[in-house]
Amino acid sequence: MARHGKHRRWWVALLIVLLIGIALGYLLWSRLLREEPLHYEAELDNFKYGSIGTEAEGLRVPFWIWLVMPRIFPEYLPGPGGYVSLGFAWEEGHELPIGLTKKVIGQPLVGINCALCHTATVRTDKYAKPEIYVTGPAHQFDTQGYFRFLFASASDPRFNADNILAAIAPNYDMGFIDRMLYRYILIPQTRKGLLEFQQEMSWMDDRPEWGRGRIDPFNPAKFRYLGIPVDDTIGNADNMSVWNMGPKVQNGYHYHWDGLLDGPLQEVVLSSALGDSVTPDTLPLDNLERIQSFLMNAPVPPYPFDVDEELASAGAQVFLNNCADCHAIGGSRTGSVIPIEEVGTDRHRMDSWTEASVTAYNSYADEYSWSFSHFQKNEGYNATLLDGIWLRGPYLHNGSVPSLTDLLEPPQSRPQVFWRGYDVYDQERIGFVTQGEDAERYGWRLDVSVPGNSNSGHLYGTGLTPEEKRSLVEYLKTL
Amino acid sequence: MNDATVRGTRSDRPRHGRRRWVLIAVAVVLVLFGAYLARRFTRDSPVVYDNIVEHYKYGSLGSEAFSPPYWVWKALPVMFPEYLPGEGYQSLGFVYEEGKDLPIGFSRRRLNGLDGLGLNCAFCHTGTVRDTPESAPRIYVGMPAHQFDIQGYFKFLFDAALDQRFTPDQMIPVMESLGADFDPIDRAFYRYVVINQVRLGLLQARDRLSAIIVNDEVPPWGLGRVDTFNPYKALQLNYPMHEVPVDELIGPADYPQIWNQAPREGLYLHWDGNNNSVDERNLGAALGTGATPTSLDYASLDRIDTWLREFPPPEYPYDIDRSLAAEGEPIYQTLCADCHDFDGSRIGTTIPLDTIGTDPYRLHNYTYDLTVNQATLYAGMPWRFTHWRKSDGYACQALDGIWARAPYLHNGSVPTLRDLLEPPENRPAVFYRGYDLYDRENVGFVSDVPEANGREFFRMERTVPGNDNGGHLYGTDLSPEKKAALIEYMKTL
Repeated sequence: MARHGKHRRWWVALLIVLLIGIALGYLLWSRLLREEPLHYEAELDNFKYGSIGTEAEGLRVPFWIWLVMPRIFPEYLPGPGGYVSLGFAWEEGHELPIGLTKKVIGQPLVGINCALCHTATVRTDKYAKPEIYVTGPAHQFDTQGYFRFLFASASDPRFNADNILAAIAPNYDMGFIDRMLYRYILIPQTRKGLLEFQQEMSWMDDRPEWGRGRIDPFNPAKFRYLGIPVDDTIGNADNMSVWNMGPKVQNGYHYHWDGLLDGPLQEVVLSSALGDSVTPDTLPLDNLERIQSFLMNAPVPPYPFDVDEELASAGAQVFLNNCADCHAIGGSRTGSVIPIEEVGTDRHRMDSWTEASVTAYNSYADEYSWSFSHFQKNEGYNATLLDGIWLRGPYLHNGSVPSLTDLLEPPQSRPQVFWRGYDVYDQERIGFVTQGEDAERYGWRLDVSVPGNSNSGHLYGTGLTPEEKRSLVEYLKTL
Repeated sequence: MNDATVRGTRSDRPRHGRRRWVLIAVAVVLVLFGAYLARRFTRDSPVVYDNIVEHYKYGSLGSEAFSPPYWVWKALPVMFPEYLPGEGYQSLGFVYEEGKDLPIGFSRRRLNGLDGLGLNCAFCHTGTVRDTPESAPRIYVGMPAHQFDIQGYFKFLFDAALDQRFTPDQMIPVMESLGADFDPIDRAFYRYVVINQVRLGLLQARDRLSAIIVNDEVPPWGLGRVDTFNPYKALQLNYPMHEVPVDELIGPADYPQIWNQAPREGLYLHWDGNNNSVDERNLGAALGTGATPTSLDYASLDRIDTWLREFPPPEYPYDIDRSLAAEGEPIYQTLCADCHDFDGSRIGTTIPLDTIGTDPYRLHNYTYDLTVNQATLYAGMPWRFTHWRKSDGYACQALDGIWARAPYLHNGSVPTLRDLLEPPENRPAVFYRGYDLYDRENVGFVSDVPEANGREFFRMERTVPGNDNGGHLYGTDLSPEKKAALIEYMKTL
């Protein structure tokens, strides 16, 4: 009898432990791992706020930490205004800027998506609120600044549970359990993750700054996951517009500044997502497919200011004679790579992409249902279509020439120093305002003598008469 | 314990038994004391007012953590009278009612183990009107606090916090002499925690606000005005304010009235029309009192919100020439109603700055970056802000109770309605604001008296940035007779 009772007690105890274990397991799973689908009905919203899988690792930051970071560490931002000071395109009434996503994996996590680098803002004057052009180049956004803000904050001893929870407390009551999870798991883990990412990106610290509107697009891929030893190349290049991909795909044009890909658009989209720190195992293929079809027909925004139609039609002829062969649909060289000897622009971006990188990327995803085969090494730069060129300033692949008017001048007459990233539009010169007190306050100083910033080359049109140049610029507004 | 008992010999037992009982008794006392302390320090009980007007005047919004607690607040003017413009808090334009301990706009709430003191809506939205220089002021709730010096209040608190005498040793005796009946726990709490924490909190607030409030490059707000939105940048969002361009730190605006909210739903509110939701406007203003999304007493705010929706504007308290007013009505209908009547086509919309031509600073200091940052306030709650917008001008306001809303224009740069109907060059270049003596002739407050009843008023100069009295030229070319009729009619609104 007694033995029997003792056995039963053991069983009961075991059962209780088991039940507690299951409850605890469920709790941890639901608060740390349980994934809630994030779905946006509209294609545009999906592009702006939809997930491409970056919340799973790398740059992920739990929402509540992300929310209070600029309030705890404002000194690591370029100026007042919280995240806005980095040039995020942020729609009124939205909890997050365009290009950041909020996906629940146990907790709401903030990730990035394509729109971060592919959304432009334009203002008519310094007091106006920005017009937002989704799929335009984020000429105003400081990607490296965002990374460095996250890294500097995570490196700061004040990035600890006491400070962060104290900053969250007046804003949101997350409850005891989540508070404990933040204290003992999420805050330390976020710090660790950011510091690891910082380590992986440390190569960028001893080369020239990217600056607003530019990134080094392929060195992160090379050094972080393609297994290329860190070299000393500089890949700094403008964010590109990604609208209107249809004609580029249909005509078999090259993609990227140096044309390092051609063929299926999927290779561009998937490799870009990987570049944004998504791992091959967690690529959300369906949603990336959705984004890809959205980009095929994403509209080119018309020039929003006045156009002198008469002057523009005179310019159309100048364009046809001087530019169309490389830059218009049907041009014999449009979408092809123009040899560096001919175009003569800064060669750093081109040199940053190497044969070894090509080999590595083309075999990178061999075990997956998708893979890469079109990466290539070119010795020149891609002659891109000029759709929406008014919104793609500063010009040349490294954004070293502030306006279209300047681009039609020979290099020695182009500005040697200017400030880029200020989003007030220059309707005279066609580009953004790059000089003056406000441009200096909000913009990033580009000096063409810094490696990677040369404004040389692309001499086409520099020999036109002033009248021809004026009419050509007028016509370019209409593209 | 068990082991000891088992191992003990028979003769040891009674002694051990006694010890056990003593230990149990000690444990029970400790547990009870712990429970008492827990109760004492976690109790959250506001002073509640059943009467809604009393609630508006003295009820708690949950903003207590931001203000010095009751006894500290009481001790400050006794310890630091030199930092006030005159005698007591009254000298800042606080409105005291007969027989009341606190001025209107202050609430009490037992919180975190002490008597907390908070601010509420009435703090900035209660005005006074005096019929003659000698008469006592009449109190109008919901009216702009045109007589109130909020900047002076903050400066007073900050100056006190900077003073070396702000210490437990010096303050506790003052609090007790004023009637604080502290028990030993209170005394220890104030001595070792509260007073130092309050001082630290004030110094931190000063640090964040100093670029706006204690900055020689930023003109003073003066009586009845506040820089509404820069404090959000400093306090809620912790912008590095010393990096904000000086122009953006300027933008004083008059307090608005807050009666009659129901017909305002959906209209663009605030001077620059930056939000068209009455609820969000209220939630935003509640943060301005020092409440936070987690401390705000939503039920309390809701009571005020419901009441204000129907609370009528006060009637003009003096004689109106009814026949003259009747002549003025068609002039108003033709000239003003389209923008200023609840039925007007442009009511609650913004008129672009180039068109309206009034002072630009207030418009520009509500910046786009603030707009989108505000969308992160109340995150995680169903009422997270979604309606803030950056506008390009100033909003057309309804003119209910306009007689009580002087001085006029958003920056209070024009003392009376009569002056407002003059072209800018004829409007007073310099006047004094903050005196509550009513000017029945010109409709507004008497504005040519630099001081009265021991109070100095604010010298308002139009050449100072933020004080420009230009723009809003509507009606300036009417004949003197028509102007008189229009003004008479406006008394009836």
